[in-house]
Amino acid sequence: MNVITDHLPEFGSGLLLTVELTLLSLAGALVAGIVVAAMRVSPVGVLRAAGMAYVETLQNIPLLVWLVLAVFGLPEIGVKAGLFTTAVVVISLYQGAYTAEAVRSGINAVPAGQGEAARALGLTFTQSLRLVILPQALRTVVQPLGNIAIMTLMNTALAAAVGVVELTAAANRVNLAEAQPIWIFVAAGLAYMALSGVVGLATGTLERKLAILR
Amino acid sequence: MSASRLLFDEPGPRARRRIRIATVLAVVAALALVGLALRQFADNGQLAAERWRPYGTWPMWRYLLEGLRSTLAAAAVSIAISAAAGVALALGRLSPSRWLRLPCAAYVEIVRTVPALLLVYIVLFALPRYGLDLPLFWKLVVPLSVSNAAAFAEIFRAGIRSVERGQLEAGLALGLTRGRAMRLVVLPQAARRVLPSLVSQSAGLLKDTSLGYVVSFAELLYSGKVLANYNHLLIQTYLVVALVYLVINATLSKVARTLEARQRTRPSRAVADAVPAAQPTT
Amino acid sequence: MVRTPATRWATAAAAAALALAGLTACSSDDGGSAVPGGGPAGGKEDLAAAAPVAASLPAGSTMEKIKKRGELIVGGSLDAPLLSQQNPATKQVEGLDADFGRLLAKYIIGKPNVKIVNSASETREALLSNGTVDVVFQTYSITPERAKQVAFAGPYYSSGLVIATKKGETGIATPADLKGKTVIAGANTPAIPAIKKAAPDAKIVTFGSDPECVQALKQGRGQAYVQDEALLLATAKQDPTIQIQGKPFTSDPYGIGLKHGDAQMKTFVNDWLKQIQASGLWAKTWKNSIGTVVQGEAPQPPALGSAPGSE
Repeated sequence: MNVITDHLPEFGSGLLLTVELTLLSLAGALVAGIVVAAMRVSPVGVLRAAGMAYVETLQNIPLLVWLVLAVFGLPEIGVKAGLFTTAVVVISLYQGAYTAEAVRSGINAVPAGQGEAARALGLTFTQSLRLVILPQALRTVVQPLGNIAIMTLMNTALAAAVGVVELTAAANRVNLAEAQPIWIFVAAGLAYMALSGVVGLATGTLERKLAILR
Repeated sequence: MSASRLLFDEPGPRARRRIRIATVLAVVAALALVGLALRQFADNGQLAAERWRPYGTWPMWRYLLEGLRSTLAAAAVSIAISAAAGVALALGRLSPSRWLRLPCAAYVEIVRTVPALLLVYIVLFALPRYGLDLPLFWKLVVPLSVSNAAAFAEIFRAGIRSVERGQLEAGLALGLTRGRAMRLVVLPQAARRVLPSLVSQSAGLLKDTSLGYVVSFAELLYSGKVLANYNHLLIQTYLVVALVYLVINATLSKVARTLEARQRTRPSRAVADAVPAAQPTT
Repeated sequence: MVRTPATRWATAAAAAALALAGLTACSSDDGGSAVPGGGPAGGKEDLAAAAPVAASLPAGSTMEKIKKRGELIVGGSLDAPLLSQQNPATKQVEGLDADFGRLLAKYIIGKPNVKIVNSASETREALLSNGTVDVVFQTYSITPERAKQVAFAGPYYSSGLVIATKKGETGIATPADLKGKTVIAGANTPAIPAIKKAAPDAKIVTFGSDPECVQALKQGRGQAYVQDEALLLATAKQDPTIQIQGKPFTSDPYGIGLKHGDAQMKTFVNDWLKQIQASGLWAKTWKNSIGTVVQGEAPQPPALGSAPGSE
């Protein structure tokens, strides 16, 4: 077990990076997801098509391929960003596609009368979406969003393949030096479980607080 | 009919004109941005014809398509294993016996929260130290199956729970054992209901096989890596690989959508199938 | 859904996972993990044509078993240019390691029939000890620690790590100059510990393959890239924006990995190495791969048994 305590700084900084990656990507995914979901229910045909194309393209290429493409391709089109930043943006956009689908299903679950009532009050599309529909839609999809949050946490591990030394990469490096894979990887696994547990608890609490009883 | 359509009135003539103008402006702006990016790309020499010519030749494509075949093989085997394990875990988790329920629930909850890459590392680095060195194919398939079995289990569990309790009870009333009632009455209906989720989970698993890149199993992405090592065309190779994934997965998700749509239009199908003798189905 | 603290179930789940792994391991299908590598060598010259064949094989030896099988199973790579790189057009594996593998196969069997099992570097000891592969030709540096688990014939080639930078970089010439810099290295390569030793406070960034590391260096994701000399020579020759700084700062004697304790085969392989070094075939093989990017005559091969761990 002392491989873990000996390398606590490495594990600690890896864990920290994983948490940062997850939180930033989640925030990004939520923004991207809501914007894209709004596009997909908007009156403008081009926006609907763009939203659809976004979801299809992002979801149908593996995240690992996106990461490698972005890290090595973006500088070639003049976008120079650090590895961590690139990873956050790519994971945000990727999970954004899944978030968009969850939010859209939430929007579809809001009773039609709500939209009709909003329009009857004279609200515009943006107003009725922002003030009436989205607040209700988001409440119904807390559980799916929680699953996306866990999926995001799992997917941050792939950033290891493009040089971000998050928890999985840190564990791998410690193992290269110490060659005690079982302890090292089990410790990393337990850390992931603990993080998922926190996400699960947060989701559960949020859901109880926000649930609309119909 | 989706509720979203009710969020706005059919746009009037003025709104339509505004939308048209905004659309044109946005498309022009987007095209300009793409043009700018492409120019940078070309300035860096990435559009040079000789950097793309290899991907107009058959041997390169043959190599990638062989990679794709391995991707599909790994995905198919992983799907089969994890779906079977998923059914078993779902049944275990819904079983009346604690001794089955708890381990199955534990498996699902633990595996769901460990990244697939970490499982790959365990199979890759840890198991060989204990004398278990799997062939490359299994080094990819085992961790993917272990991790996806949990996801499949949750899908099946949701499906089984969505089947009305009366179905199981009716089966029991007919004198079937619990196992037979599950197998003959509940599971077929459950599987049908969750078919779209099963297909999209399978598409996700297909994407996960790109971890072969880490394992050095010659699936599509790893084949791209070997190619890039050979021809030094990193960006071009990965763009082509991305395109192949896009085509394959877009096809799969279209299948999923078709299945879903068909299911929505025939809600009575599941019930009708449970009593095939009385009501022949198409 | 109940989310319980998972620790107390960990054992049960681990057991389940192992059981599943064990079940699947029983199947012997290894689809795609091996590539055919027989036939003439992939380089410019058919090295195997003139290669020697052993006069006789000791009865009951590993070599006799290999000859009976008709194929030498080699642990190697598919993606190491100049050493062991698959040519996608012909599916042949080309390079120094691959050529030596074929020559050894010819020596044992009479025909250059090899099957290359693509192996990750962490699993080579296990592949040898459980008999999945007969020999390992894969930039396998001889170390006394490894020699506790495998037998090494050779060394058959000596290489070392060098530092590459973008052209015109003046601040980095020796390993000590890596201090405080961001240094690029291939994931899971010996460069990582070597950099740590030479410059403990250098920040190491790893990528999955050599072209990725080169691209990262060109894009400024690090100031230097540390990699095996042969690989970097090939890169620097092909890409004028990359420059090699100084001489190799480590010495990595590559050995031929054999099953631990198989002294008979070790002597046999060392005899073969002696033969091909004396006949000039060793130099020809070098010319055929690394010699295509390095000017001048083939270097002097390292003395057999000279590396600690190969005695």
